[in-house]
Amino acid sequence: MTILLSLVAQLLHIGLMIAAAPTMAGLTDWLDARLTGRAGPPVLLPWRDLIRLSRKTPILLESVSVVSRIAPAVGLGATLSAAALVPSFCLGMALSPLADVLVVAALLALARVAAALAAFDSGAAGPGLSQQRTDVLAVVAEPALMLVLVTLALMAGSFNLDLIIGQQREGILFPAAASAVALTALLALILADIRAPDRGAEDMFGGVDLAMLRTTRWLRHLLWIDLIGGLFLPLGMATAETGPLPWLLGLAAWLIKLGASIFALSGVHAMLGRIPRHGLIDLLGVAALLALIATIMVLTSLGTA
Amino acid sequence: MPSVSDPILPFLLMDAVALLLLGAFATAMPLAVVTIAAAMTSGLGALLCLPPLLLGAPATSFGIPIGPPGLSLHFALDPLSGFFLLIMFLAGTAIAAFQAVAVSPTQVLSARMTAFVVAGTAVSLLAADGVALTVGLAVVCAAIGYPAHRTRVLIPFVVLTALCLLTPPGYAPRFDAIRAAPIDPDRATATAALMVAAVGGLIWPHGVGRSWTRDALRAGVVVPIGSYLLLRVIADLPGASTQAWWGFVLLLAGGAATIIESWLSAVHPDIDRAISALTRRQAGLAMMGVGLALIARAADLPGAATFALQATCLTAMAGSLAGTVASLSAHTIGASAGTYRLSRLGGLVHAMPVTSAALSAGLFAGSALPPSLGFAAFWLSFQSILSAPRTGGLPSQVPLALAAAAIALSAALAIAASVRIVGIAILGRPRTPQGAGARESKSPVRTILLSLAGASLVAGILPSLLLWLLADPAIRILTGLPPDRQAGLALLAVSSSTPGYLALPVLALLALMTGAVFLLPRRSRKPAKIVGPWTDGMPPPIGLPFGDPAAQLTGAGFLPTLPVLAALRRPRLPSLPPLPRPRASAGIWLILAAFGALLLVLGVIG
Repeated sequence: MTILLSLVAQLLHIGLMIAAAPTMAGLTDWLDARLTGRAGPPVLLPWRDLIRLSRKTPILLESVSVVSRIAPAVGLGATLSAAALVPSFCLGMALSPLADVLVVAALLALARVAAALAAFDSGAAGPGLSQQRTDVLAVVAEPALMLVLVTLALMAGSFNLDLIIGQQREGILFPAAASAVALTALLALILADIRAPDRGAEDMFGGVDLAMLRTTRWLRHLLWIDLIGGLFLPLGMATAETGPLPWLLGLAAWLIKLGASIFALSGVHAMLGRIPRHGLIDLLGVAALLALIATIMVLTSLGTA
Repeated sequence: MPSVSDPILPFLLMDAVALLLLGAFATAMPLAVVTIAAAMTSGLGALLCLPPLLLGAPATSFGIPIGPPGLSLHFALDPLSGFFLLIMFLAGTAIAAFQAVAVSPTQVLSARMTAFVVAGTAVSLLAADGVALTVGLAVVCAAIGYPAHRTRVLIPFVVLTALCLLTPPGYAPRFDAIRAAPIDPDRATATAALMVAAVGGLIWPHGVGRSWTRDALRAGVVVPIGSYLLLRVIADLPGASTQAWWGFVLLLAGGAATIIESWLSAVHPDIDRAISALTRRQAGLAMMGVGLALIARAADLPGAATFALQATCLTAMAGSLAGTVASLSAHTIGASAGTYRLSRLGGLVHAMPVTSAALSAGLFAGSALPPSLGFAAFWLSFQSILSAPRTGGLPSQVPLALAAAAIALSAALAIAASVRIVGIAILGRPRTPQGAGARESKSPVRTILLSLAGASLVAGILPSLLLWLLADPAIRILTGLPPDRQAGLALLAVSSSTPGYLALPVLALLALMTGAVFLLPRRSRKPAKIVGPWTDGMPPPIGLPFGDPAAQLTGAGFLPTLPVLAALRRPRLPSLPPLPRPRASAGIWLILAAFGALLLVLGVIG
């Protein structure tokens, strides 16, 4: 029965992530516009775009290889795999033994590599240059993300996401100061990713491939928010074996956290405006430094404990 | 009690001698005979290594009464040397077989270099005393460094000096004598310093000219033997005498090396040099693994030391398999396209699909992307940091934090470098007519490249199985843990009850998700419309109906170039007179010189 419940919870979680990603993108666009005094697009516009794009005839450059044909699917598959491992409303899902924080970070890197290869495959200057800028940012962003995750793993004594969240929920992750520094670093990383102006491979695809690339980006943003919600604010999360009623409570808590995160990110965007490209590198550099400081704080505090 | 290793050790020695003879008489035989014989002999060596490793056979030793009284040569086959012999022989087989069927005519000097380097490495790995180790290393250094870097022949003598420092007074520098006697910590410290210098000189060359054989041998053979030397002389022989702070030195030196090499790989304009830098990055990671193992062992944490040693073994394997296939693929591309310059390559996925796939697979296997061999080593490195001792306060914890940052940064840089190599050289459109004229390699070359690529990919899917079958006995000897043949097939974890890294299920999840995403919209998917390149609304340039290929990215500007640091003044050695081309007698003179140096060192040390 426990296995069945964990399997159902896992499938529900994956369905929820797929459904919430475009909706969250629409909500973010609408809120961005409202906070700057404009009417804003319909919240379900991303869904309409996806349906429209999936009906369109895809366009491919004649010079492209098999890489361009499979890269959007590989990117979405890798991001979906990572999203399946990051719990949203409950812990103890079927894939929780696989939910290693380094695996999650590396799957996101794999999705970025797939998009980068597709951009280079086109042989066009624009998408390639855009993707090159994204890759340069990733050279700073990915180590920073890994250091944040390693910091939390050092506090919990395990790389498993469920175990880290479980300990955070019980309030036994110390020191709290390091946790706060890691949270700040993670917020800076999310802000840099969401506000990055370059779209890389999206400039060279159309039809269902473009729909996949956009879904990948929206899903990655949702995963970031889930990661923060789970790691730093695991309030109301249910466990898979408790059954549907606690799940509903967990779902409600997750929706509240998601709404609050979208509102906070849009508020920050309205206050700061567009972040220039050189500002993004500075922001990521600060995030990396904060992540390193958090790691040192955890190591030294454990040493003196 | 007789062991399965007893009859195999003499055969392995004969294998090494046969390779030495092949190298010595390479000019007297047809080139095809030399290369094919070298490939078969190396392959036989790899097969001979398998039974002792798979059966977990204990160490066995063998003495040859050659040399001065009390200084006869001793050889041994133990799990540590068996593991490194296997990956070295596999790489040697692939390189020699590639030379036999390569597109361009292979020079006899290259075939001789391969035979000598593989033979010398085999002798070094089987050595059970300082003299045999010096002889083996002398052959390797002379073969790979001659004639451009004659000073490299000093490296074996540095290693010999290091071993003599560990040897108790009045004894020959035999490994069993070193293990049996207590070692002065100061001497162990001096030994560690000499070994780091020797391994650095062996792996990190300065201003070496272009030679694809040397690149492939460095990736497949020299980098693993560097890891072996660090493990054997710093971690195994002195036992607990090596002080923990040497672990921090190795950690920081390896971290600096791995970041610099990854960065160089991401900015170098030539494909072969970029790949060569990526293989040297693995040596830095292996050095960090040994450092972490020393720190954990000094704190009596065998679990953390096991993770670090597992990471070192997988890094050596990734460097050897993936580095060899990437080096050989880069040479095939360079030979076919007529250039190694990334900005003049492009579109090779259409002209050379198999070679391109092999190169991509090699780069993927060495990177920290799941489920690759590089990612398994990356995960184990972080796991060893997670389990590392938490004592010592800020001075001992800051290096661990910096090590974590170095591993993460190096992984990100290596991914960027790999994306740049594949994206610029393989994907896109050809940038020059010469590049457009590249043709796929011959069938035997493709078979060799695909076999190596396949082996490196499969190893990434089953890292735990490989460690269990091939490296577990060696790691248990180094950590002092009792033998245990119980392990999961696909699980790397602290214990069977703790979730760890499961490569096979991660691959299954990835395949399931990607397959679903790829196949679900297929029913409603319309066939793609194929169009020409978009030139921003402008007509295409005259004579270039498919757009200007030079408008593509060239790979420049991925990362800023590293600042040129003021290099320390290297001690000026007396210039050697110009030496004639190497002959078979050179090896004998080298051995005699090694004995002379040994006697001198023993006389100085007492």
